[in-house]
Formats: sequence, C-alpha cells, structure tokens
Amino acid sequence: MRRRQFLGGMAGGLAVAPSRAAVDCGCAPLLGQALGQAPAAGVFDRVGTKVRVTKMKVFGVSLTPDSDRPYVFVKLETNQGVVGWGEATLEGKAGAVMACVNDFSEFIVGADPMQVEHHWQSMYVHSFYRAGPVMGSAISGIDQALWDIRGKILGMPVYKLLGGPVDPAGVRGYYHARAGSAEQLQALRQVAKLQGITAFKSGIPGYYEWIETNAKITRAVKAMQMLRENLGPEIDIGIDFHAKTSPSVAAILVKEVEALNLMFIEEPCPPENVKAMARIARRSTTPIATGERLVASYSCRELIEMGVVDILQPDINHVGGITALWKVGAMAEPSGISMAPHACEGPIGGLATVHVDAAMPNFLVQEICSGIQPETKEKVWEEWLGFPAMRMVNGRFPLPEKPGLGFELREEALAKYPFGGTRPMARVFHADGSVAEW
Amino acid sequence: MAAGNDPLELKELRAFALREPVSGRRYTLLRLETRGGLKGWGECPETTERELGQARQLLAGIPATAYEITWRKLSPVPRLRAAINMAQLDIVGQLAKAPVYQLLGGPTRTKARAMAAITGIAPAELLTSMDKARQAGHAAFSVPVPPTEWRNQGQAYIFNVRGRMEILRKNAGPDADFVLDGAGQLVAGDAASVSAELERFHLLWFDEPCAVSNFGAVRKISSENVTPLGFGRWLGQSGDFQDLLREEVADIVRPAIALHGISQIRRIAALAESYYVAVAPYHDGGPVATAAALHLAASIPNFFIQQIPAVAEQDKQMRNTIAGEVERIKEGYAELNPAPGLGVQINEKALDKFRDRG
Repeated sequence: MRRRQFLGGMAGGLAVAPSRAAVDCGCAPLLGQALGQAPAAGVFDRVGTKVRVTKMKVFGVSLTPDSDRPYVFVKLETNQGVVGWGEATLEGKAGAVMACVNDFSEFIVGADPMQVEHHWQSMYVHSFYRAGPVMGSAISGIDQALWDIRGKILGMPVYKLLGGPVDPAGVRGYYHARAGSAEQLQALRQVAKLQGITAFKSGIPGYYEWIETNAKITRAVKAMQMLRENLGPEIDIGIDFHAKTSPSVAAILVKEVEALNLMFIEEPCPPENVKAMARIARRSTTPIATGERLVASYSCRELIEMGVVDILQPDINHVGGITALWKVGAMAEPSGISMAPHACEGPIGGLATVHVDAAMPNFLVQEICSGIQPETKEKVWEEWLGFPAMRMVNGRFPLPEKPGLGFELREEALAKYPFGGTRPMARVFHADGSVAEW
Repeated sequence: MAAGNDPLELKELRAFALREPVSGRRYTLLRLETRGGLKGWGECPETTERELGQARQLLAGIPATAYEITWRKLSPVPRLRAAINMAQLDIVGQLAKAPVYQLLGGPTRTKARAMAAITGIAPAELLTSMDKARQAGHAAFSVPVPPTEWRNQGQAYIFNVRGRMEILRKNAGPDADFVLDGAGQLVAGDAASVSAELERFHLLWFDEPCAVSNFGAVRKISSENVTPLGFGRWLGQSGDFQDLLREEVADIVRPAIALHGISQIRRIAALAESYYVAVAPYHDGGPVATAAALHLAASIPNFFIQQIPAVAEQDKQMRNTIAGEVERIKEGYAELNPAPGLGVQINEKALDKFRDRG
C-alpha cells in the first residue's frame, strides 16, 4: 500500500472524497484518482435544496442503569432550524451502533437531507462490506432522522409523502399477551373486546434442543392450544418461536397447531438458512412470519423468491429505516406476502414504522412489545413526547398529523436517562451447559 | 366525485386526446384538480368517456396525497392509473413546493442518461435518423432489428443485423452506445443466435429479443450467451417483473411509464435492485410522460437510461407548444427539472389545436 497525494481541485467527476489524504489499497484501479478529486458538495446544487445537515448527535439512553437494550437515538440538525430524530437501537450492541452512527458523520454532515435515497445508497454501498446488523441499525437511525426532516420541510407527515394512508383510522396493531394462565387469558379476552384489540402475540415456553422429547413438544403444543381456547376464535394469535427451535422441532410444532388457525408462527428457526425455513413452511398450512433480524431489502429477496413466508417482519431500526422497510414491502407485495413489522425498541422507531405501515397496501398488523396495560417504559415515552406513543385506540395506532414523524423531542428530556453502557442480552444454557437460543 | 371538505380531495378529471401531426403518435393528457384548486397533469396512451366516468367515481373522497392507495382503487380502469398517478404526484409536489424526485427521496443523480429510438430499414435511413438524434444531443440509440421474411432466419439475417450495427458504430464513434430492439419479433432460437453473434459488440442490451410467452423460451437466450437482455414494455403487473427477475432472464427491466406511472415503477425498481438489475422505463408517448420518467429516474438508485421518443421537427414543435421544452438533452443526458411537481406548464389553449380528431 502506498499513500496517495491528495490532489485538490480536480474537476470532471462526481467522486466524493474525504478532505484528507486517503489510502489507495491498489484493489481498484482508478480509485486513487477518485479519492483525489474535489468533494462534490456542489454537484447537486442545481437539482437539490439549500438545506444542509449541520450537526449529527448520537444519544445512548438507558431507562435503567443496567438496561440490556439502551435506546440509541440519532438527532440531525440543519441550517434551517429544522431537526430530525431517528432510532438506531440494536439490542445488546448499543456501543457498536453509536460508534457506527458516528462513522457515518462525514456522509451526512454538510449534506442535503432531502435526498435520503442517495444517502442511503452511499452509506450502504460505500461501506463496502454491506449489510450487518450494526451498520443496518446505524443507517436506520440516520435514515429515519432524514425522513423526519424531509417531512417537516415538505410540510407533510411521512405517511403522506409515501402515498398513504391506506386507512385514515390508523394502523392495526397487537400487544403481547402477558398472561400465564387460562383465567388471565380469559380476562385479557374481555379487556381486548372492550378496547377493540383484535390480535395478540405470545411465545412458547422454555428452550429447545436440536431434537426434542415428547414431553417438551407436548408442553409447547398445549401452551399454544391454551391461547386459542381462552382468547377465543375472534382474536388473531401470533406465536413467536424466537428461533429457539431447530427446523426439525419447529416443523412438528407448526404441523401440530394447524387446527388453531394461527395468524402466524414467527421465526420457526434462525434466519440465515432460507432453505431450512422453507422446509418447515412447506409441510404446513400455518402461516410463517420472519424478518426482524434481516438487514436491507437484499436480505429478504430469497425468502420472497422461494415463497417461504406469508408475512415479513422487518424492524425499522435494523433493516435500514423507512427507505428499506418500504422497499421490502414493495418487493413482498407481488408475491402476496403481508407486512407485520417488528417493533421492540424505543418510541421513535415505533412511530416511524407506523408511518410506513400506513402507506403499505400489503400491511397486516403492527407489533409493539408491550402488554395491554401500559408499562414503565411507555410512561417514560409519554414524558418525552407528550403523548402516549405506541398505545392503540380502538385496536389501532393513530396516525400523527404533524409533519415529519410527528413528534417533538428535547435533548434535556433524555438527560434523566443517561447511557448506562452496553450490556449483553440474556444468555441461556441447556441443562448440560450448552448454549441455548432464547 | 362526491363532495367533501378536504382541499386536497380530487374534484375534477379531464382528458385531452392528442395526435402528433407527422408521426401520428397518439397520447392523452389528463388533468386532475383538487377541491383547493391545485392542478396536476398526467399522460396515458388513450381512454374513453366511460373509463373517465368510472375513474371519477372511484376517485371520490381520495386526497391527492394518497397516491399509493389510489392505484389499487383504480384497478377497474387500468389504462388511467399511470396518468392519474403522475397527476397526483404533480399536485403533491406543488403542495410541498418540491420537484417530484425530491418528494420521493431524490435526487439520486444530477442528470438522467438518455436514449433515442431511431427508425429505418436500410442502413442509410438508420444513419439519417441517428444523425438527427445525435444533433439533438443523444449518445445512445435504440436500433430496430431488420424486418423478417420467414418465420426462422438464416445466416444472412444474422450477418445483416451485425453489419448494420457496425455501420452505425463506425459512424457514431466508439463512445456511442446501442440497444438492439427486437420488439418481440424473433423466435427465441433466432434471438439467441443474434444475441450470441453480438456478444463482443457490447450492446447496452438486446431489448425484447423475443416474445415473453414462457420463461423456458426466454431462458434459451439468456443461458446461451452474455449479451444483456431487456424485457417488459408490454408487461402490466409488477409480479410479471418479479418472475422475469426470479427466472434469471432479464438484465434490465423496462416497465412502460404510460402503463405503470411513477409509483408502480418505483416498486418494480425496489424488486430489481435486490437482483442487482437496472430499470430503463419504456416510453413512446408524449412530453408529460417524459417529465414523469425523468423524475422517476432521479428518485431511484438503479435507474440506467431513459428512452426519449425521437420526433420529427413539426412534432417537436407541438410537444414544446403544449408542454414547454421537457426533453433537454445534452451529451447523452437529459436535464432534470427542479421546479415543483412534474415541473411541466401545460398550455391548455394550445391543446385543442392538436386534438386527436379520430
């Protein structure tokens, strides 16, 4: 490797270079030249706006000092006084994501925030290694903040910019069924009826080995049956396997519960091997959902192409923000695949998702990782935003009317919850000490 | 269209059928108006009073901003959907005081690569047509295959295709680029032979080398050689494009702007992007659709080239009279228009002069 001389002021190309000496590894002929060219700040002047991002800030926010999933929020400031917020929370990897957001500072500070697709491409493509949850989450946070600014400057809520709403009454959602017994489930059914809630999600008990015993399989099946028996036929039920089952075990469980007509089984196995998931899906009529760990629309292509899933669940804080979630929805639609985005982090990502949901013709239902009763975190969200973000009204998340993502957030409001550092998420093990999925 | 209070609700829809004096090319401009008085323009190949009546009913109560939703509602009038989509985005852009490409997350580029479809049978005719396009600023040309005499072609035909392309390249120089337009006229076997013969000519791509009757036939071409293939000008559904991509037969997809409008092509582009495949919308209509296509180009990452209809001087005058100079080409690229909406000012008074009188 040799260090290239920085050749300032060369015209004639669009390559954007950092304004300092760059290293030419020799892998790509002519790249050295591109690195030497003048920054393209003015290239888009005629067709862009005069709005510029002036500052990028990253906040680690721990609701409790030992939180295992601190929120990561991104704030962009502009020369027009308009600010944008986005969320880049990545469970268990807060520090890495905050560093990655900062790595993108040169991509964003000084840029025209309106051209979000261009910046998305630049962050993804010019990072060379593509995808990956850390980068995906960092891009997600920045992308959401850019959309927030775009909406505010253009004077419209984001869902209108995206061509929505499908339904002005709002976006159908589901809570998690926080109920462990038949009685609790029956009570939940009553409350749901009163509140207009139409769907719940739950999980299956315990951790699963590669092959499972009759006892464990029977217990899991009974748990699912209990949900249907006590929630009744009118409520749609999703069950999250959380990829803790192997394809062999999941296939049996998915088959056993066909008669329950579930809304979906989620992540019946880990997401890296599409063929393995396809083998589960094709032997059962139970709808299969997956997607919360996938980054960029590219990662959903094979699932869609092979007809593996009925429902895709990308997470707006990991997949690449509003831009990427919308693209996955567009890709899924011609294959008859519905969208039920994952949302288990903070309120910014949740609200951003609701905007995209409202504009997707193939949207099914929106998650929020909370129960029918507001939880502690939601009280904090309301304290920050001034309204009960991600609480449903009559079974739907209401659509914000304000431009952008539709909320104001002050930095001082976050100061009460300083970053407590990165913590690992739960680590669970089987009886013999071997590593288990949770 | 029913009464409501939302100033963005669509109130009026009017169609203006036009005909170019020299080429005889027909297209219809659509004018959509909101309750608040914003007007947006779109373009479709043709329509009827009956379809317009249906569309007016279907649009009742829909705000201009809900352009994605409108697409579904208008499924009973598929011929009008693209035009209404363009007109809605034109309105939303005026409302937000932003060009359509900016509404949609662009600009992703500063200008849009352009291509002229040249015409002619004999090489001399092609050369004349190409020269005209070059003078208009074009550097990429779509060239029709010669007419066929028999169902299956022999060696002479294949040599003829190659010979014509070489004459064009020799005249235009090494920096000119070519698309060979099969217009679906060859059988798959002949298309594969032509495609193989031109592998080292480095066409940009071979467009519609054969009819897409089934993928087995099309795959014969793509599996035998590396000349890029383009398909899609007649396909009406985004699922058709998904099939082309998943069957590995298309190197570039060509949804027609007049069939799909801006929003639907954006959805097709999202699909194509995940296959590392580019989009080059097909376009053989009027200036409003050109404007729409250029906004689309600047809003997606995987745009490659926009076909700009080649027009006779008198036709160009007509286009400029009704829509201003939409197609400004320089050194092979079309200029983007940063004015709000589609940025096209329609001269309504002039429309009647060019009315298609059947």
